[in-house]
This record gives sequence, structure tokens and C-alpha cells, in this order.
Amino acid sequence: MTDRRRTFVGLAGLGLAVALISVGPGHAQDPGLDAWQGIYAVFSHPRCANCHVEDARPRWSGAHYGKTRVHGMNVQRGADGLGNPGLRCTTCHQEENAAQLHGPPGAPAWHLAPAEMAWWQKSSKEICEQVKDPARNGNRTLEEIAVHVRDDDLVGWGWAPGKGREPAPGSAEETYRLLQQWSAAGAPCPAE
Amino acid sequence: MKLNVNGREHEIDVEPEMPLLWALRDALDIRGPKFGCGIAQCGACTVFIDGAPVRSCSVTVGEVSGAVTTIEGLAADGRLHPVQQAWIDEQVAQCGYCQAGQIMTAVALLQAVPEPTDEDIDNAMSGNLCRCGTYPRIRAAIKRAASATAGA
Ligand code: FES
Ligand code: FES
Repeated sequence: MTDRRRTFVGLAGLGLAVALISVGPGHAQDPGLDAWQGIYAVFSHPRCANCHVEDARPRWSGAHYGKTRVHGMNVQRGADGLGNPGLRCTTCHQEENAAQLHGPPGAPAWHLAPAEMAWWQKSSKEICEQVKDPARNGNRTLEEIAVHVRDDDLVGWGWAPGKGREPAPGSAEETYRLLQQWSAAGAPCPAE
Repeated sequence: MKLNVNGREHEIDVEPEMPLLWALRDALDIRGPKFGCGIAQCGACTVFIDGAPVRSCSVTVGEVSGAVTTIEGLAADGRLHPVQQAWIDEQVAQCGYCQAGQIMTAVALLQAVPEPTDEDIDNAMSGNLCRCGTYPRIRAAIKRAASATAGA
């Protein structure tokens, strides 16, 4: 086999594998559920879930963190979601990522999502139901959620988290489109 | 670049990407804020921007839009700030390196919570490290400052 042919066979195999992965479970039964899978991949990613916690403490987790930890320095949600008096989120997190290696990341209005919007270690079903529930989604329509995901600067940071940090999968625009597809398909939730 | 520090306007010739801490210390010769880590992990560089505590090592001069206050700007009319006075009364400092940052954070805490509990103090001060371990005296000084200003 020539090198070129071997490369081709290898690539074809890879292509098949990628196709199988992207088909995933549940394919061809419900395009809405497929769209949700893509959304869940984003929402459950550490870039998003680390700050969508039920308790008061953001997490440090993700490919580059090693083991999962609560945020250092005793950082907590505080009464307004912006940190505690004297140690606010914006004491360290500015509007842009710090340039220094291992410096704090930044985006406008750095803060924790409200506790009722918890995604951290929640199942796909649980997150899906939360997202659809106006009592727990900031009283938003699905279209408003899609636009929020596409346009909010802090959300957008998840796809551009700066060097050394793994970005959330896809892009804000893609996730916006997935949310619209999911909504158009009746916003189904998975069984678990 | 323009910078308002401790009530004075300054025009300094630095790049907007320069961390505020560098500009304060090297361009303006304001040496209260200290360099400990450079990555918002220790609190030694804490200053206020428009009254809110900020790690000056991790904000660039270009990002600063408000008035900066350093520990040099706390005293008013020739009198130490009550928190500074409490720090002296409790003899808090050991080597002193972290203390400008500690005091700035303590002032921010007391502005928001005039009579802080131990928990409030832990929640505010945990981002300010002290290699000398002066934490018990920091706690005592914060409580002393709180009672000194109560009813004032
Ligand atoms: S020098 Fe800024 S936090 Fe350590
Ligand atoms: S007094 Fe020495 S580091 Fe705090």
C-alpha cells in the first residue's frame, strides 16, 4: 500500500467514525432530540456548567484543570450573584481575559448564573426541563434563550475562553441555531 | 494614557496593555500596592476602582475607566483611615508585604458590611494571602475598626 493510499484509507475510516459518533444514540427518531444533544453538549461543558451551580461555589473543572475543585479563595455567589462584599467576581475578573499565563479570565459582568439554573452535574433531562421552565429560566421564551445564548458577552466567552482553556463545543451561532431547531421540533427532552 | 489616582489626574506614557499595578508603581511611583503573584491569586496589589476592590495586577491601564484609590489615598485631612488606625492598634503587620492589600479589602468589606461577622470576614478576606500568617490579628483589627466607626 502506498503512503498516500494508506492515508486515504485512514481518513476514510476516521470519516466513518466521525459520522457514527455524530449520529449517536437517538438519531433518525427525533430531530428535536438530536438538536437537544448538541445543546446539552454545550450547556454541560465545563466552560458553561462551572458557573451554573446549585450551591454557592463556582467550580474549577475541565480538561486543563486536572481534578475538579471548587473555586479557590473561598469565592462564593453572594447575595446578588456577583460575589461577596470585599471579594466580588469583578475584583479579579475584568472585561477581558488577563494576558498573563494563568491570569484570571474575563468577560463583561462576570457572575454566577442563578441557583435555579443549575447545570453542574445535572442530567440531560434535568437541564432540558430547567431550560424550558419559565420559573427557572429567567422567565424567558425559547426564542429569548436562543438570542441570549447568541448575543450575551459572558455566554460568548465560553467559546473564546483564552489560551490554556478548552472552549465550549461549536459556536454561539451554531448553538443559537440548534436552540431554534429544538424549539421548532417541539423542544423534546430526553428520557434521562 | 490618563489615570485618576487618589484624586489627582495623571497623564502617563505607557501602553494600554500595561497592568495597572505596573503603571502605579513604575510610572507614578505609587508603591503601596505590591506585586505578589501577578495573576490575581494573592491580593497584595488590591486597589479600588470607583470604590470597588480590584486586583491591579490583572486589570490593564486601558481597561480602567474610573477613579483609582490606593492605600496612599485612604487617609483624609491628615488622619489615618479608621481601618489603618485599627491595624496599628492591633499591631497587625509582620513583614507587611501583604498588608496594603489586606487593608484595602477590609475597607471594602466594612463599607458594604459595617459590622461583619467572622463569616463575612472570611468571605471577604480569603483572596488576600499573608505568608506571615497574621490572619488572627487581621480579624481583630477589622472588628476593632467596625466598633470604632459604629455610631460615628
Ligand atoms: S499581585 Fe495581584 S493578586 Fe497577587
Ligand atoms: S505580613 Fe508578611 S505577608 Fe502578610
